[in-house]
Amino acid sequence: MSGDGKLPLEGVKVVDLTQVFAGPTCTRILADLGADVLRFESPNRLDVTRSLILTDNDGQDQPWARASYFIIRNVNKKEMVIDLAKPEGIDVLRQLIATADVVAESFTPRVMENFGLGYEALRQIKPDIIMISLSGYGQYGPMRDFGAYGMGLEPASGISSITGYPGGPPYRSGLSFTDPYSGFVGAGAVLTALAYRRRTGKGQYIDLSEQEAAIPVMGAALLEYQMNQRIPERAGDRSPYAAPQGCYRCAGSDRWAVVSVTSDAEFARMAEAMGHPEWAQDARFATAAARRQHADALDALIGEWTAPRAPYDVMHALQGAGVKAAAVLDGKGVLFDPQFRARNQFDLIDQPPVGRRPVQRHVAAKFGRFDPKARMRAPLLGEHNEEVLRELGYGGADIARLRDEGVIAEKPNLPVPPQLVSAALKLPYDRYLEQGILQALEPDYREQLGIADGADGG
Amino acid sequence: MAERALDGLRVVDISQGIAGPYATKLLAECGASVLKVEPPDGDYTRRLGPFPGDRPDPEQSGLFLHLNTGKRSVTIDLEDAGGRALLRKLLRDADVLVTGEKTSTLARWDLAYDALKAGFPELVLAQVTPFGATGPYAGYDGNSATAMAMSSIMYNTGDPDREPLLTGGEPGEYIAGVHLWLGILAALENRARNGGGDHVDVSMAEAVACADEYNAAMYAFQGAIRRRYYSRHIFGYPNDIVEAADGYLVMIPGAAGFGSPLQADVASPMSLLLEDPELDKNPVFKQAGERMLRWREFDELIRPYLSSHTVQEIVMTAQAFRMPFAFVPSVADLLRDEHLAERGFFATVRTPAGEVKLPGPPFRMSETPPAEAPPPALGSANADVLGADAVPARGGGAQ
Repeated sequence: MSGDGKLPLEGVKVVDLTQVFAGPTCTRILADLGADVLRFESPNRLDVTRSLILTDNDGQDQPWARASYFIIRNVNKKEMVIDLAKPEGIDVLRQLIATADVVAESFTPRVMENFGLGYEALRQIKPDIIMISLSGYGQYGPMRDFGAYGMGLEPASGISSITGYPGGPPYRSGLSFTDPYSGFVGAGAVLTALAYRRRTGKGQYIDLSEQEAAIPVMGAALLEYQMNQRIPERAGDRSPYAAPQGCYRCAGSDRWAVVSVTSDAEFARMAEAMGHPEWAQDARFATAAARRQHADALDALIGEWTAPRAPYDVMHALQGAGVKAAAVLDGKGVLFDPQFRARNQFDLIDQPPVGRRPVQRHVAAKFGRFDPKARMRAPLLGEHNEEVLRELGYGGADIARLRDEGVIAEKPNLPVPPQLVSAALKLPYDRYLEQGILQALEPDYREQLGIADGADGG
Repeated sequence: MAERALDGLRVVDISQGIAGPYATKLLAECGASVLKVEPPDGDYTRRLGPFPGDRPDPEQSGLFLHLNTGKRSVTIDLEDAGGRALLRKLLRDADVLVTGEKTSTLARWDLAYDALKAGFPELVLAQVTPFGATGPYAGYDGNSATAMAMSSIMYNTGDPDREPLLTGGEPGEYIAGVHLWLGILAALENRARNGGGDHVDVSMAEAVACADEYNAAMYAFQGAIRRRYYSRHIFGYPNDIVEAADGYLVMIPGAAGFGSPLQADVASPMSLLLEDPELDKNPVFKQAGERMLRWREFDELIRPYLSSHTVQEIVMTAQAFRMPFAFVPSVADLLRDEHLAERGFFATVRTPAGEVKLPGPPFRMSETPPAEAPPPALGSANADVLGADAVPARGGGAQ
């Protein structure tokens, strides 16, 4: 990166009422691009991600500060914990909206209206406000009130209907990727609305349905059905656009590589690289149609070549010959891959109380003039209550009163001691390991990552 | 004509395939003027299909039509010096140049950013490549499959005793396209405030890795490496696709589906759905850890109900109990879905392959409706845009 490093959204104020995954991904991107994002939680109901994947959980007293699921998508943001069921809570929020550029929310439809904070009401407070609602199924239509979790929305978009082993049931992907995907789309929608406001002075209301956002991925399948009345079948790792394409077993325990060939010339290069140039002359494999017809035989031959090789050896040997191939990386592999490292896919943050941790980028693009990295750790609970209230003109006595009255808080209202919450959130990882839900547990992982106490950092 | 969000933005797009064209489709939907510069034989997606009746025709590829609505098409041979001069002429009036080529190819065409910047200091060069423009894999080839493989999503999709699965629909390409679009908009915002163009460099593998839910974080924060385990979400069982009497649905009990520990004497929504409150007394049903590990026994508990009820009954009843169950539609189901129809999601577009329904924009804006225009025939804007400089298209296109 060169240039002055000024971020493109400096000075843009975002009131962030989103929670969980899609909405916080959207607002993290805006924050990464320089916007001042102020997120809100309720002392009576924290963002549920504050209970997910607790760092080194051995019964600590602040479980909500240790949730990696929360931390990774809320860096670069500030936070207030405020009770919006209290009139003074709503009053503070309205004052903040009056100076905001963007309001983002991911409640089920109607909740914002119930707060008296629907788009029309927001426009009364701030005429050029940009408001984005991220929901499962959108703000209108017969399914608008459907409860929606990210894990159901990839199937709801149709994508699961074409994911799975041949002849088997539909599959979800190994993570709910339509959640971040709709967050990416939402951030782009806000940038589009900001461009429109710059030109015209007018705000916008953006209705983003996560189901709809993902349906364009189904474009070719939708047209196959309309053009040929065929519903695409689940095809494992094969593709209508590549032959061969597959996932091949490599040396090591549960190690794999993908190979994807999209032309006859590339197939000849693959055959050569695998030491079998004659395959390119074999009538069974001479054309894409033939390779498709003899896919099982071809896959077996490729699998024989990959079996004694490590995934990266397969990747580099084939890529060196001009053939599309990649190692199939697990969660650890992504952190250690040389290409991801060379391009700073992870930024190191120092997050109390869990210490230094790498967090993944949310803006994939690299720019010449600025760097949308994690420059600020995730906020602690209610960390910016006081700072924000002072900016609004509240004095020390007012702030103390709001705290006494439970309008603001720096701790959640829990019915049980926090240590019990920690204990309840402790997952039986040793049993997961035994069952195969986990591949490995590595107690020295911080040393491996170079983030152990006293280490230099990764 | 209605005002569009990106009216006045001028994009020259030399990308082919899915990622670059999807990024420029998103710009075109919001009113940007997108000039698609195709090689004389067309964007390669024109040869990929699906085609009506499986008869290849560069004007009737479903994939091409889907990705290129609202654009104009000219044909220019960038391997030819005259073609490159023509492109530079077009860049004089452009805000953004979009490409899917690697830097080595751009350099050959005098379009690498350092060379371009001198002549076009306000231009945004937006480049999407399989692994990014820098780093040890910068020269490597790839597609959705390689990006999904590198991201950790693939390793965690599928059965534990079988090969990892790719997600259908080439999502890696689309995710990269969305990140390219985001990058373009961010660079344009920066230009509007601070002046000057930029080089936007998107790696498909990184774009998909950015969509990680927690795989890398489980290692970075706990030292745990996850592994694929059927189709379920790791945060408890069942959060999975299950089979009912007439098809599939996603069973998601949600936060309170198995009841709240603070209201132990109230029948849980899941037991009510399954019409058997006695189930709450069974630890295999009631306790999260037991369900996760003894899921085969849990499956036996729910099978009689699932196999005797329809998808529609189960999902609607579960939703009435405030559990976020979901449908698993096929493409045919999506096209006849009442909810999507009422939202007007699919746009009916006249194309050379006849009238088809295409997915609409992935978000709605209250003040600026989407621009809807058909996809272009190959080189159909040659005469208008290039005039006497136009070179005829090959491969059956117009002009």
